[in-house]
Amino acid sequence: MFRKKSTYAVGLLAVALVLSACGRSTDTSSTGGATEPAGSISAGPATGALTMWAQGAEGEKLPALLKEFEAANPGVTVEVTAIPWEAAHNKYQTAIAGAQTPDIGQMGTTWMGDFTNGFDPTPSGFSDAGFFAGSVKSSEVKGTSYGVPWYVDTRVVFYRTDLAAQAGYSTFPTNYEDFKAMAKAMQTKAGATWGIQLLAGGADSFQSTLPFGWSAGAELMDGKNAWTLDTPAWVDSLRYYQSFFTDGIANPAPNTGAGAAESAFVDGSAPMMISGPYNIGNLAKAGGAGFADKYAVAPMPKDKTATSFVGGSNLVVFKDSPNRDAAWKLVQWLSQPDVQVKWYQATGDLPAVESAWKDPLLAGDTKLAVFGEQLKDTNSPPSVSTWTQVSAAADTQIEQVIKAGKDPAQALKELQASATSIGAGS
Amino acid sequence: MVSTAVRPGARTGAGGKPVDHGVARRRKQTLIAWLFALPFVLVFGVFMLFPLVSSFLMSFTDFTSRDVATPLAVGFVGIDQYANLFNNPQFIKSMVNTGYFVIIGIPLTMIVALALAVALNSGIERFRTVFRVGFYTPVVTSIVAVAVVWRFILQQDGLLNNMLGWVGITGPDWLNSTTWAMPALILMAVWRNMGTLMIIFLAGLQTIPEDVKEAASIDGAGTWQRFIKITLPLLRPTLLLGAVLSSVGYLQFFEEPFVMTKGGPLDSTLSISFFTFNQFGFGKYGYASAASYVLFVAIALLSVVQFRALRSKD
Amino acid sequence: MTISEETPLKMKPESVAASPKMSRLAGFSRRRLITYVALVIAVAATLMPFVWMLLGSLKTDGEILRNPSGFLPADPTLANYATWFTDLNISRFFLNSLIVAVITVLGNLLFCSMIGYALAKMEFGGKRLLFLLVMLTLMVPGVVTFVPLFVLVSKLGLLNTYPALILPFLTSPLGVFLMRQFMMGIPDELIEAARIDGAGELRLFLRVVMPLCGPPLATLGILTFLGSWNNFLWPLVAAQSQKMYTLPVALSLYSTGQNATNYGLLLAGSVLVIAPIVLLFVLLQRFFIQSVATAGIK
Repeated sequence: MFRKKSTYAVGLLAVALVLSACGRSTDTSSTGGATEPAGSISAGPATGALTMWAQGAEGEKLPALLKEFEAANPGVTVEVTAIPWEAAHNKYQTAIAGAQTPDIGQMGTTWMGDFTNGFDPTPSGFSDAGFFAGSVKSSEVKGTSYGVPWYVDTRVVFYRTDLAAQAGYSTFPTNYEDFKAMAKAMQTKAGATWGIQLLAGGADSFQSTLPFGWSAGAELMDGKNAWTLDTPAWVDSLRYYQSFFTDGIANPAPNTGAGAAESAFVDGSAPMMISGPYNIGNLAKAGGAGFADKYAVAPMPKDKTATSFVGGSNLVVFKDSPNRDAAWKLVQWLSQPDVQVKWYQATGDLPAVESAWKDPLLAGDTKLAVFGEQLKDTNSPPSVSTWTQVSAAADTQIEQVIKAGKDPAQALKELQASATSIGAGS
Repeated sequence: MVSTAVRPGARTGAGGKPVDHGVARRRKQTLIAWLFALPFVLVFGVFMLFPLVSSFLMSFTDFTSRDVATPLAVGFVGIDQYANLFNNPQFIKSMVNTGYFVIIGIPLTMIVALALAVALNSGIERFRTVFRVGFYTPVVTSIVAVAVVWRFILQQDGLLNNMLGWVGITGPDWLNSTTWAMPALILMAVWRNMGTLMIIFLAGLQTIPEDVKEAASIDGAGTWQRFIKITLPLLRPTLLLGAVLSSVGYLQFFEEPFVMTKGGPLDSTLSISFFTFNQFGFGKYGYASAASYVLFVAIALLSVVQFRALRSKD
Repeated sequence: MTISEETPLKMKPESVAASPKMSRLAGFSRRRLITYVALVIAVAATLMPFVWMLLGSLKTDGEILRNPSGFLPADPTLANYATWFTDLNISRFFLNSLIVAVITVLGNLLFCSMIGYALAKMEFGGKRLLFLLVMLTLMVPGVVTFVPLFVLVSKLGLLNTYPALILPFLTSPLGVFLMRQFMMGIPDELIEAARIDGAGELRLFLRVVMPLCGPPLATLGILTFLGSWNNFLWPLVAAQSQKMYTLPVALSLYSTGQNATNYGLLLAGSVLVIAPIVLLFVLLQRFFIQSVATAGIK
């Protein structure tokens, strides 16, 4: 154990739950977080032993894919450990604390700010050009890139084509007004109980309002890492979101249980929703054979832009990695368009590399093509360690706006005040 | 984690009788005794005491996860973190939540357990074992495994609300409601813990001599009166024991929010243990340790009070 | 993970007496009927989650998603179980859980009774302090040692080994307390007599004391087994590769995803985790429930 201090440094400073933070946390973050200049990757094949952690299905499917990497780099062996999604955050935390990290890890995009000090900055050899811009942003913390996007996940509109036809819509609306009118028509003309399913509070409800704000030109933070949550654009977008509930188009107390959203979509009682690619699989299970023909997906409606939320996972190399060079080579390999397509085939994870979408396998699928289109206009929350805390505070406000009819301007003013006192972390 | 850290039981009584056969004999016995204690002391010392002591020391420093390599180079902050805790609204909230859970949860668990024990003790002979095993089964099962079922049961159109619907009640979305999430977790805790107390109370009930009850019934006391006037007072030590055992566990309330709500919605099920767990997660080891020791003091105080009450009855 | 609030505890060494004779008036039979009905309803409610779990495990994931509150499977299938046994290599995780649990149990039985004997039947310097320490540890919230323990185990180079999964749990303060309380109830005369006969302490312990300790050993054994079998968070962080995963960790790994959970698989896995322990409990219940009374608080 002769490693130097910085190798143990962990960026979990996180969520300054206590504003009166204990003594030293601010100054250590500068030393602990000190980054070595981003190196480059050597030429030639990767060698040595690598360990990699990946969550859930990714961890299960990865070893088969990596056989090809090992074949192309005869001197390398990769050992993959699959870790459970629900406890992955805990596991990375303890591993970083005990300096027992693998070489490579899979990070949920919103976790990047939590662990920054454990990561190796992305070496210069990496060209970002191939990745969707919205995803690249999620791998950057305060201007430095730590890792690269692996696969992406974005939100689009799912709607029942059969009911839309009854409601008089053969094409999907592109602007806000028509979008809402269509949801209304689902109720008045197609007999749906609710026009659209929108989160009405609780975890992630703030996240579900973000696309509307971004599309109105709002940003969560300004260039100086200060929160900007009460700008007129945010207020307008939240007012629009709220109107779905005040107009009786969306259920202010939806069932959030497992499978509830899918069954409401399948039985037609709430035939529109904003959701991610994983829901194609869920709907196939919930709707059974042939259901895929009864619905379609469409990009988000357009305000100033038609920006959606992008999530997914990034690949990172840990600072403590004894085989950093080979680790980055593996990351590089996983980012190749052809490998990304193979990965899609194995897992259904959507490629983060734009050119991979040209593959007929993806381009030929009408539903997927919509996701590919949407990915060109996405945004993600800033990678700051206080994000979880700010979004939790925001969820409260959203809940009050929707369930208690609170004025959006007032709610966002309060949110801005609490976010400012929470800060942007270290 | 630390599946062993559980409940204390009784007072610390003095052990066997001292035998005075000279210094040599005593020395020899001390040596032998320590040899008997050695395996435990070794494992306990390394894997429990060491982490405990280090966390205790950490609670007076600003230790964070990045100080692991150089544990001595941290700032000593005295009781600042303890003071900070009491200025942290989230910690205060976690204390209120823990209090809520303990104050409602323990009596409720005890009442249910007592009702079951009384029913099982009321002359039932057939299927007694089946009932006992049935009520006790929740105690032995893994919470990770039953959590998923409970989530289904508690969801808005789940089993519980369906049943409430039969009697005309529209149930809430239990786990997503700031009002109802805690009652839902209490319900789950009652389900998981009533078996233990039931067994304890059952044993207690069986120590009540039959003739005492019969004498009372001859005096014309009704069932309920007999229960209040005779059974309960005689059962007092057993009930107190049940309260002590439960309170240590309930004060450490962690598993239910961990598997069901992660402390949400809006921190409405955030317990002190869970708060601590989160602080460890954020890497604030010193702060998390301080929070743990606040909880420890609460547990110790409550235990002392209850032991006193238990003992005074003797 | 069990920062357990569940571990049952003990009390008086009452033998569970035969239920009081009910040779009363016929009027009682109606009351008894009501009691029976109430008990049946209560036990059905208590066991409902298990029944639901079992029935759910026979459904496809699609059926669960379509009808989350449904009860009987429309088209029962064993496919979820088949997946566990064929694709997911559950036997490896089962074996890990078993190895860890059995060694942990044996360690607890031996070590806790050894020190329990010393604390109960010997006089020695440091005894009070030792017992006080044990009692204090019982009250410390479990979360507090988690991270320091992880750092310690990793510094010792034990991560990803069986010792990492076992050693931290090889003894327990609760076990010490339990054994001590019971052994204090063993008459001193018995032990003194053997000592006068010249029996060494080890022989005394093995031949005289231990044979009397069936009930608390059974209790401790079952409690330890339960704690170990159901532990989740520690094995998760201490095992660095899948081949060291225990059942609950594997259950969590294979059935929950980032956005989608395979509920059918999760329920079947839950049944597989719970079944052995419920079976064990049902088999040993007489022994277990009766011995819950051993710690002897008077």
